[in-house]
Amino acid sequence: MKKASKVFTVLMFAFLFAPIAILLLFSFNEARSLSVFSGFSLKWYRELFRDTETLKTVRNTLVLAVCAAGISTVMGTAAAVGIHRMRNKYLRSALDMVTNIPMIDPDIITGISMMLMFVFVSRLLGLANSLSFATLLIAHITFCLPYVILQVLPKLRQMDASLPEAAMDLGCTPWGAFWKVELPELMPAIVTGMIMAFTLSLDDFVISYFTTGTGFQTLPIRIYNMTKKTVTPDMYALATLIFFVILALLLLSNLTDREDSQRIRAARKARRAAKGRPPMSPRRQRALYTAGGALVLAALTASLIFAVTETDDKPQVLNVYNWGEYISDGSEGTMDVVAEFERWYQRQYGRPVQVNYTTFASNEDMYAKLSSGAVSYDVIIPSDYMIARMISEDMLLPLDLANIPNAQYISEDFQGLYYDPEGVYSVPYAYGIVGIIYNANVVDPADAGTWDLLWNEKYAGQILQFNNSRDAFGTAMYRAGLDVNTTDRAVWDDALDSLMEQRGVVRSYVMDEVYNMMEAGEAAVAPYYAGDYFTMLDAQAPTVDLRFYYPDPTNFYIDAMCIPACCQNKTLAETFINFMLSAGPAIANAEYTYYASPNTLVYEDPDYIDEMGPEAMEILYPGWDDFARQYNAYAYRNLDAETLDYINTLWETLKIN
Amino acid sequence: MNDRSRRRSLVTGVTSAPYQLWAVLFILVPLAFVAYYAFTDNAFHFTTANIARFFTATSPVTDAGGSPVQVRTYMVIAWRSVKLAVIATAVCLLLGYPLAYIISRAPAKVQKTMMTLIMIPMWMNFLIRTYAWMTILQDTGILNNLLAALHLRRVHIIGTQTAVIIGMVYDYLPYMILPLYSIMAKMDHRLIEAARDLGCAPAGVLRRVILPLSMPGVVNGVTMVLIPSISTFYISQKLGDGMFFLLGDAIEGQYVAGNLHFAAAIAFILMVALLAAMALMRRLTGKYTYGGAAA
Repeated sequence: MKKASKVFTVLMFAFLFAPIAILLLFSFNEARSLSVFSGFSLKWYRELFRDTETLKTVRNTLVLAVCAAGISTVMGTAAAVGIHRMRNKYLRSALDMVTNIPMIDPDIITGISMMLMFVFVSRLLGLANSLSFATLLIAHITFCLPYVILQVLPKLRQMDASLPEAAMDLGCTPWGAFWKVELPELMPAIVTGMIMAFTLSLDDFVISYFTTGTGFQTLPIRIYNMTKKTVTPDMYALATLIFFVILALLLLSNLTDREDSQRIRAARKARRAAKGRPPMSPRRQRALYTAGGALVLAALTASLIFAVTETDDKPQVLNVYNWGEYISDGSEGTMDVVAEFERWYQRQYGRPVQVNYTTFASNEDMYAKLSSGAVSYDVIIPSDYMIARMISEDMLLPLDLANIPNAQYISEDFQGLYYDPEGVYSVPYAYGIVGIIYNANVVDPADAGTWDLLWNEKYAGQILQFNNSRDAFGTAMYRAGLDVNTTDRAVWDDALDSLMEQRGVVRSYVMDEVYNMMEAGEAAVAPYYAGDYFTMLDAQAPTVDLRFYYPDPTNFYIDAMCIPACCQNKTLAETFINFMLSAGPAIANAEYTYYASPNTLVYEDPDYIDEMGPEAMEILYPGWDDFARQYNAYAYRNLDAETLDYINTLWETLKIN
Repeated sequence: MNDRSRRRSLVTGVTSAPYQLWAVLFILVPLAFVAYYAFTDNAFHFTTANIARFFTATSPVTDAGGSPVQVRTYMVIAWRSVKLAVIATAVCLLLGYPLAYIISRAPAKVQKTMMTLIMIPMWMNFLIRTYAWMTILQDTGILNNLLAALHLRRVHIIGTQTAVIIGMVYDYLPYMILPLYSIMAKMDHRLIEAARDLGCAPAGVLRRVILPLSMPGVVNGVTMVLIPSISTFYISQKLGDGMFFLLGDAIEGQYVAGNLHFAAAIAFILMVALLAAMALMRRLTGKYTYGGAAA
């Protein structure tokens, strides 16, 4: 290699591996942050190996990727050969076009359209619970196929068509010519296609989210759903491990390769000499490919059997559907609430129960999935406005409070709330209040106290704003004393004017990036939830001094436990809800999520109060005199479709300016 | 056509049958669902309002001179998305082409290692990789700390168009390199040597021999990079400070607002436009992709 190209190659690989180096470094970080390194620790590796949920999703992801890549490679290669041979020009170009469609469609559209189709077909056939591993696999094969075909097809076109002809002249059958001449020639492209398919399958989350069935979750879905809070660093540890495993495999295969390739080269030389023309692929190589193929097939069959048999080995299954990172999962010595429930149930009733715990990233995603009717969950934990909507659409079952005696410990403040006035359909799980977080090393505390801080030109370029329409408009409306649930378009127009005015001072519209940016001092002011402030506080850089206050009025939200109409075992679901309300699990969850709990067993518990400390207690439980009235006045409600559409239009206007 | 080649095309022609069936069931039928949603309203009555809205909706914006003007909302968004995607694709091609060539000329073992190294970053989760780029590019990030340590001027990248393009190039570069490499690895290097022997200048060798030979790889690489980068939204949200509102954001936003029909309409229009663009690209480069390598 020439010097220039060497330098170029090194630079390119540096570019490709820079983020990997960052992940490697931060997987050893003491704090839960990807922007501030606070000290060396191995704890995230310990967490990773302890976290059975994550390991399960890793296994699911691998099984899925191997199956999808294997099947799409075989089918795609066959398809490419067929398309190449096709004599009907129009059919050929039509297939060419169709092949591109899965690549063009935005993931969310592919995901939803496939979900709609699966649901539609299963209703025709009268199948229940139609979304499953099979539908997920079909979706993955579908988006992998084009990449395989697009790899193999050009190679076929590039290939000398007279080679198979020559083979047949020499007495080969058409199949023989394909196996012996064309396939070895195509092999690099096929392998590349397979690697691409594997990679795509490994990394997809949107399509998977919509096509997967109850309880089957892959790693990317799990990671994506964590972004309501922050992605935990054990994911960086996982990425680092994957990197080293692949690197090791690579080195290993290179070492074993050396002898082989010498032998192959020798054989090649001998043949070339004997026949006076370029050699065919050596038999040994073919044997290797065959062995490899057999291995893939074996893995496929094994994993399919595995996937099929795994679903019905336990008599009782409880499917729980919750926000990501929203339950105490046993990390850092906390209680693993799900596992604890399984143990407790076995002790109490002498029967085993298996909890399938899966997560969602937004109320809307959860709603889309449940309203498709193709999944079955027993317990869900949505937010208030979504509960109101689901009640109005008959999607929730009334709870039998006789089975949930612990509901009595929910504070009286939580009675008579608008979304479920009689308290029939839901039991509150956690609640949050929007406040403003600021860096006291930059912001003069005299400027803090109201919503005006988010508009303060002194801090232009250091202010963050929500990157979703409802919350962003909310800040402007609370500031101006407007009703956040109005259907009066003129009011929304006023709020837009206010956001337009703010745009000049906004550094960034953010969701979960707020953590990194506030911790590192990248920005100085941000509206976010009280509980999350403490997560940031734990990881702030030495140069940053984060503070928090509630502007008045502000947004309240409540997430509550409900039982959807598709529930299979209502008594079991109620038992689970009751368990979640008992002191041990409820305290563990409140400590883990840092959100305020409506449960008196939690916030009156001396150990909990002690653990949280006076500052956190004061912020999380500010002692509102009439919580229900404030909540009912300022919480978001479900808006009608026209109003939502109008807000979205205004949001787009803000964003394209 | 003689009997033997007819038999041959019969035997091998059926190999695409499973895919044809699959394509109809799982590509065209879901596509029909998208079209059905695009052309109906919330009550599932036929309407072209969603399609019309994409082309006619306007928003008030402030132009460079500070005076208010009305612009076509989705035309602005679409133009912005196309611009970023085209730049990202061009950068991928400029970086990926020489790298693929260098790799294809390396010894066999080195080739394999390098190609695996190019794929490895893709096996780390996409979200986490994008997060890592935020850590690098932030004003208080690794890059700026490095520059400060070297007594160089700090740069503001995060939130700019450059940051979004870096993110796209990083994520899609392997999809450019792979097809290029798999074509170049099989290129007949004797042709290049022959051209050199016959007195062709390096630029001429590139333009008249290497480029035409690798054209199928270029077409595929461009397709595989351009398409996903047009509909992405995650990269622009994280690395663009939420200031770059692209088609992917528009679709996502409509979905969250419960407006699935309009979201489907945007996706449908995007798809038709991209298919047309690709048909055009195939036609322009058709002599390379269909008529054999060096016609």
